[in-house]
Amino acid sequence: MALTTQAQIETVAAELNNCADIIHERLMKAVKRKEIERPAAQLIFQDEIILRQKANGLYINAANGVVTGLAETQKSLLETIVSAKQKLKKINDIATFIDLTADLIVLAAAISAAKPPAILAALKEIKKDCEAIKGAADS
Amino acid sequence: MKFIQVAITFAFASLLFGCTNLKEVQDFAGQSAQLSGYTELTTRFRDTYYREQPYISGDADRLAQENDLRRKAAYQDLLKIHQTISVYMQTLATLAGDKSFDLTPGIDSVASGIKAYPEFGIDKTQVDALSGLAKIAAKWATSSYQQRAVREFIKEGNEPLQTALIGMEKLIGYYQKTNDNEWKTINGLLELELSFTDQSEDKLLVTLARAHLQAKASEYQLADKKYREARKGIQTIAQGHGLLVENLDKLSRQEIKDSLRQFAKDIKAINDHINSM
Repeated sequence: MALTTQAQIETVAAELNNCADIIHERLMKAVKRKEIERPAAQLIFQDEIILRQKANGLYINAANGVVTGLAETQKSLLETIVSAKQKLKKINDIATFIDLTADLIVLAAAISAAKPPAILAALKEIKKDCEAIKGAADS
Repeated sequence: MKFIQVAITFAFASLLFGCTNLKEVQDFAGQSAQLSGYTELTTRFRDTYYREQPYISGDADRLAQENDLRRKAAYQDLLKIHQTISVYMQTLATLAGDKSFDLTPGIDSVASGIKAYPEFGIDKTQVDALSGLAKIAAKWATSSYQQRAVREFIKEGNEPLQTALIGMEKLIGYYQKTNDNEWKTINGLLELELSFTDQSEDKLLVTLARAHLQAKASEYQLADKKYREARKGIQTIAQGHGLLVENLDKLSRQEIKDSLRQFAKDIKAINDHINSM
């Protein structure tokens, strides 16, 4: 039988675990009643563990199934995240423009007051703002 | 003049009060982004063979080794599901944060730029008053932009988020069942071998085996608690986000804020609980 759906895989794994539990219960009962020798008991226990390992293998199949099934979901979550980051970037760009405006006002004031050091300082700030805006546009 | 200024300021401030009310959304998303347990439990799942290896042999061991390789191969992909959800929640927290859409530092620098040059002929107190109004206006404008951005984000994200959370819960279920098999393997072996061991002959062996079983029992009980807590955390996040999407237009209502605060508190308690174990 090909196990295709996750539900099928889960059901079979649960059945295997169930069988292993029943085997263990019977085994321990037999041991307590001294109906079974140690080597035989060990062989039965080994079978029980093999069933558990088979079930574990199925749980890995099921986990991989979840991962594959979520590929599209992950993609659309990432898209939502990216579009939100773009909105945040837009606001940051506006903030940079306000900085530029502020420094332009300072420059205008410095020019009207005819203070060369202030003019130079203001120009430096404007250069920085322009680089920041350019950097934001490039990224 | 003064009266009008004050009145306008109050009018803007009250508008502002009705708009930016996303603190609870931010807190809820921030707590959800920090959901602990999943990474640790995924790592525990990956390391299953390391723990069970001393107790198994023969064909069972060969099967266990195959499983080990497959678990290790799946590990990164299993972690990624949680990482995406974490980034989603972090982004929501940032979107809803009061600093993210804040233009006031820019306006402040305009104001101080003007103030630094008295030659410009504008009185300092006037500049303060104007920049104060500009700040309120900017906040008002950006807050509606922010509200819209947050609403769109939640609306767009809800379906994939809920699906991913269900997937995560299923994965934790598989981890738990694998862990259960591991415990039954260890417990079963010791139980079986102890019943064939004569206590009077092998007193030391029996004592050590019992002490070992005791330690192992508490280890697996603790792990079992973590699986349950982590699942509870995932369910709480799913419920909280569900509440957000159902009340997109009512996010500033008191009852919604109260429930969100409760969800954030529950998630924090779960995180603290898992971390303390």
